[in-house]
Amino acid sequence: FHPLPWRQRGGYMAAKISKLEEQFQKDAPREKQKDGTSSCIFSGVAIYVNGYTDPSADELRRLMMLHGGQFHLYYTRSKTTHIIATNLPNRKIQDLKGEKVVRPEWITDSIKAGRQLSYVQYQLYTKQKGLNYSSVCARGKQDPSSIHEPSKPSLNHLHIISEEDAERPRVNGIHDGDDDDVDDNACALLPRGSQDTLLTNGYVHPVNAALKPQDSFAELQLHVVDTGSHQSHLPQTESRDREEPSCSSSGSKANSHQRSLISTASPAKQPGLHSMQKDLHPKPTSNPGTSAAPQKGNLHDQTRVRLNGSYHMTPNSSTLADSSNPPGRSAAGAEAGIISEFFSRSRLHHISTWRNEFSEYVNALQSRSRAAGGAVFSGQEKLKKLRANCSSGVLSLWFMFVRQSCILHVDMDCFFVSVGVRHRPDLKGKPVAVTSNRGPGRVAQRPGANPQLEFQYYQRKQQHNGVDLDLAALSMAEIASCSYEARQAGVRNGMFFGRAKQLCPDLQSVPYDFQAYKEVALSMYETLASYTHNIEALSCDEALVDATNLLVELGVTSDDLARAIREDIKEKTGCTASVGMGSNILLARMATRKAKPNGQYFLRSEEVDDFIRGQPVSSLPGVGRSMSSKLTSLGVSTCGDLQQLSISRLQREFGPRTGQTLFRFCRGLDDRPVRSEKERKSVSAEMNYNIRFTQVEEAESFLTNLSMEVQKRMEGAGLRGRRITLKVMVRKPGAPVEPAKYGGHGICDNFARSVLLAQPTDSGQLIAAEAIKLFYAMKLDVKDMRGVGLQVQQLEGSYADPSGQGPSRGRSIKDLLLAKQPLLTNSEHTFLVVCILDGLTGPSSSRAFSSNQERVTPPSSPPSTSSDPMPGTSKGGLHHPHTPNHVRTYLNVSIEVPSPSQVDQSVLEALPVEIRKQVEQSWRHREEQPSTSSHLSTPPRTSSSPPPGPSLGTLVLQLQNQPGQPCTTGIILELPDVSQVDPEVFAALPRELQDELCSAYRNKGNAQTENVQCPSSPSTDVPETLSKFNPRPVPTLAGAYEFSDIRTLLHEWVTSISEPMEEDILQVVKYCTELVEDKDLEKLYLVIKYMKRLMQQSSESVWSMAFDFILDNVQVVVQQTYGSTLKIT
Amino acid sequence: MATLTRQDLNFGQVVADILCEFLEVAIHLILYVREIYPSGIFQKRKKYNVPVQMSCHPELNQYIQDTLHCVKPLIQKNEAEKVVMVIMDKEHHPVERFVFEISQPPLLSISSETLLSHVEQLLRAMILKISVCDAVLDNNPPGCTFTLLVHTREAATRNMEKVQVIKDFPWIVADEQEVHMEEAKLIPLKTMTSDILKVSHSQLFCTESQKLNEIL
Repeated sequence: FHPLPWRQRGGYMAAKISKLEEQFQKDAPREKQKDGTSSCIFSGVAIYVNGYTDPSADELRRLMMLHGGQFHLYYTRSKTTHIIATNLPNRKIQDLKGEKVVRPEWITDSIKAGRQLSYVQYQLYTKQKGLNYSSVCARGKQDPSSIHEPSKPSLNHLHIISEEDAERPRVNGIHDGDDDDVDDNACALLPRGSQDTLLTNGYVHPVNAALKPQDSFAELQLHVVDTGSHQSHLPQTESRDREEPSCSSSGSKANSHQRSLISTASPAKQPGLHSMQKDLHPKPTSNPGTSAAPQKGNLHDQTRVRLNGSYHMTPNSSTLADSSNPPGRSAAGAEAGIISEFFSRSRLHHISTWRNEFSEYVNALQSRSRAAGGAVFSGQEKLKKLRANCSSGVLSLWFMFVRQSCILHVDMDCFFVSVGVRHRPDLKGKPVAVTSNRGPGRVAQRPGANPQLEFQYYQRKQQHNGVDLDLAALSMAEIASCSYEARQAGVRNGMFFGRAKQLCPDLQSVPYDFQAYKEVALSMYETLASYTHNIEALSCDEALVDATNLLVELGVTSDDLARAIREDIKEKTGCTASVGMGSNILLARMATRKAKPNGQYFLRSEEVDDFIRGQPVSSLPGVGRSMSSKLTSLGVSTCGDLQQLSISRLQREFGPRTGQTLFRFCRGLDDRPVRSEKERKSVSAEMNYNIRFTQVEEAESFLTNLSMEVQKRMEGAGLRGRRITLKVMVRKPGAPVEPAKYGGHGICDNFARSVLLAQPTDSGQLIAAEAIKLFYAMKLDVKDMRGVGLQVQQLEGSYADPSGQGPSRGRSIKDLLLAKQPLLTNSEHTFLVVCILDGLTGPSSSRAFSSNQERVTPPSSPPSTSSDPMPGTSKGGLHHPHTPNHVRTYLNVSIEVPSPSQVDQSVLEALPVEIRKQVEQSWRHREEQPSTSSHLSTPPRTSSSPPPGPSLGTLVLQLQNQPGQPCTTGIILELPDVSQVDPEVFAALPRELQDELCSAYRNKGNAQTENVQCPSSPSTDVPETLSKFNPRPVPTLAGAYEFSDIRTLLHEWVTSISEPMEEDILQVVKYCTELVEDKDLEKLYLVIKYMKRLMQQSSESVWSMAFDFILDNVQVVVQQTYGSTLKIT
Repeated sequence: MATLTRQDLNFGQVVADILCEFLEVAIHLILYVREIYPSGIFQKRKKYNVPVQMSCHPELNQYIQDTLHCVKPLIQKNEAEKVVMVIMDKEHHPVERFVFEISQPPLLSISSETLLSHVEQLLRAMILKISVCDAVLDNNPPGCTFTLLVHTREAATRNMEKVQVIKDFPWIVADEQEVHMEEAKLIPLKTMTSDILKVSHSQLFCTESQKLNEIL
């Protein structure tokens, strides 16, 4: 029934209520007689049942009769002490604010326990603010720390935390197995009985008073702290719900461990905390009159400890109190906290975040050593000593000249297993698998699941020649890693445990131990870092080390180095590692295969060919299941077979880029550098486990929470993005409703939609709003959703934050500043080195000038790499910059050099060789000459722009700044007075020159600047200081942005070359994509139509294909942005 | 030299006025060009120095005016993302949509008086493009109607609920079928990048039209 407006009842209602009460009193003894098991545990308790409950209202009424309580059929605020409900609408929650709303289990459990339990455990809503799913909360036990009500000021948390601190150890200690103990503890926390709320409020009050003047920032911090404590609290409350309790607790332990790991790298939040503490401190003195003063002091101390303690755990855990909620067993996808929850426990997530963390760790090491003016490499020292003992200096000189680049690929041998059996010698040498399942490998089948069908589906999809097995009852827990002994029996990583058990009956399973993984991984990285900081973190158990410089410096052979590293790792971690070495990453990784287990192998350049021919194609990076099956259909199984295919064939089959990569890889060629810092392309959060929505609202709130997760990650990375993509997995029509794997997604169709924002954002709310819009646009049945992912792309750094908030971002700026000075000197150094080498041995490869100390290509390197075609257009960026600084210098090259027609040839010739090369290179870059390698020696073509007006008497020569000179404009000689500038001449100048002149005059601080405002290029003339936002650059194709220029460019491209280069095509695609983003559809339309005309007329069919490729790509972007494709006739 | 920025109150006003005026002309012209109404109700007028057609049906004019009147505050606050004119067939399936995508730079500043004449040139170009758009579009089936939609940014809808510019002329959430077109094709008509405002990032008005090739 509907709740009548309370307290406004007439006499009739009053009469009715009292009569009902009488009736109840009369019935009670009779019931007691009938049942026999009476008590009076509920004396003083009067309940009112709202809505559906289990047990039913009638049953509850009977129970209350039996156990001395009261049952009210109508709610009376003054008399009713507890409201029993399992589900309340939002409005009622608002109405019942401050009342005790309890789940019916409170009654049944109390009866079972034989005494009245504290209701706090059973409160229905603890934190609902908006729409929420109270029914979910009803499941499982609630965290005692979440007893605060939503309406209370957040500072209440403080009280609870500090209180619980004292209690925590005990709770932890006793909890396993006995629920009542926890209850007792909870009761100890808060005075028992019906005055609970009152007393709690009273208790909290002084705290409030003490903290009142705090600003909202401090409050926010407190929230965060609160989360931290919840987190640490998680395992014990949830272990009951989990299949593998040890996993969950160790997971969160690992969490805290990893937090403390980052804490050194991100001291960002510290200031905030400090200031808060300052806020906390003076309070007692400012309120000396309060009676609660001593108590307060006490509280303060406790809080502070807690704050510091829990700080380390905060950065990754958001969604505040949500994490206190254990996942329900079936409808968990709907739950608010599930996302944080999921990510804090998902094994895959853990392991994948580690890679970022280790990357960060390496970066932190590097910047620290830069700041300290040079690092101490203990491992290096050791090796040096070793060497000094056994060899002479001649060898090292020899190395200096013959050296090749040498990459080490360090990979732990079956990492998870060897960590798992580290302290269990009894398992060594036995088949061991790391998995979450520890039973016999059989589970009962759940209704709705149809594993056979799914298995068939996957089989068909993967074209496996199927193994016939009784899958129905086998455990679907996957094996994360298995020992070599198990591998011999046919067990593979990723196999389902049930199946593995069949193959290898004496297979032992070892649980996950995240903390140990973390420890071992960390010490592995520490070991590596003691040799060099040139490390690329690949994952938690493997890393790439560029040892080129190190070997030269130490004068040892790579084998010695590898041995030293392996011994070190073995000593420090107790686990073995294998090291593969090669002249590039690809070869190093391949060598590792040969090195395993527990060995090392150097793949020498002379044996590369023989070696690689025998390798299966699937061993190449990027060749996965689908590609290898495609290759098999082409009759290719080894790299040797692959070498037989021509590049054009490969490009036709796999697309231009992949084709080329394959072509190179199967010959052992790989020019990827070891990158210690990787630029992130996207930030995303995705969850496809346990997604079972029943209502649209659940999906909405899930999206909101997922957005918050994304926000958290973006903030963590200090990034903002413009493109938001929503990815949804939907149950494939006809697929079983319940997949074979518990909570898994089963067979799904994948959908994705994206939207482009006007401004980059990292706001969770904004992302959520967009995501929900996208979600509705997809028009899905929420019941069939099995996975949801949100991805933010087109990232940019978020330091230009106008609001100035966000302390976590401060780090990157500071780092940048710190890193700047030494970095510049570094690159200067490189420059010198190159010049010297150059003088000795003739032309060096032009890539060496990229001011990147790691990539100094030695003059004696094999011709295959040094005569590598110049990274023509887009690819250039890939080779060079690793740090923001480098990026900038590189950009300078491509943008600020004037067009060839404006540079006096004699001046050019007078320039040093390197600078000249660079100028030429940037012209090429701009002109987009696709066949760059052949143009290396030829003078640059003059562009179609008119020659400069000589009457101007100005020479503008803007070159890339020498590294280390922080000047922004180029060299501008003899700037005439503005009045002398002939407007006509000015107008005749090419656009770039006009812009340069404008800015030059502006820089002179000339008030007459307005007069020379370029009549045809008004859009460039902005007072930069005014613009708070970075204006989006106009999309350009190789520097051109006027349609006529672009047309000329395209025309030249298509007519002058017979076969387009992949880079150029990609460049065009990129340009078109930018046009779409710039919403300049008209221009895009014209460009596409023009290209279509040009390319389809071309006699070469390659051009036609190139056009199709471009068009396809553009249509995808247009489809994503506008929801429909361009009509190209 | 006076420089107006977005913060100046009347700047948004100016943009909104210009844009709404243009939209009105454009909508009338589209109605004429796409033959939604019999040509008899249209009169030839002169706008932006070119001949345009304008309906003289009072109720139709009132609808268009009222709608734009409501759009104006949105544009003023840079909350309108797109103004869409949907042309539907008898069964109320959208046949084509004319999308005016509006994006304003985050920071604007105006100076000098080239403003008006230049914008006028650009708007004229756009009007001319509309008047010849039937060349690239297929003929509409007879008996078409039209409706005007606004795509707002973010939470603008909520404010729209609160403030009814014209009494008894509230906004209605568009039917999904009005917004969504199956297998639509996009034909960009004209993009104008106005530099009138002497801004770093220029103001963009996009016009494009989507056309359903086959009605399913």
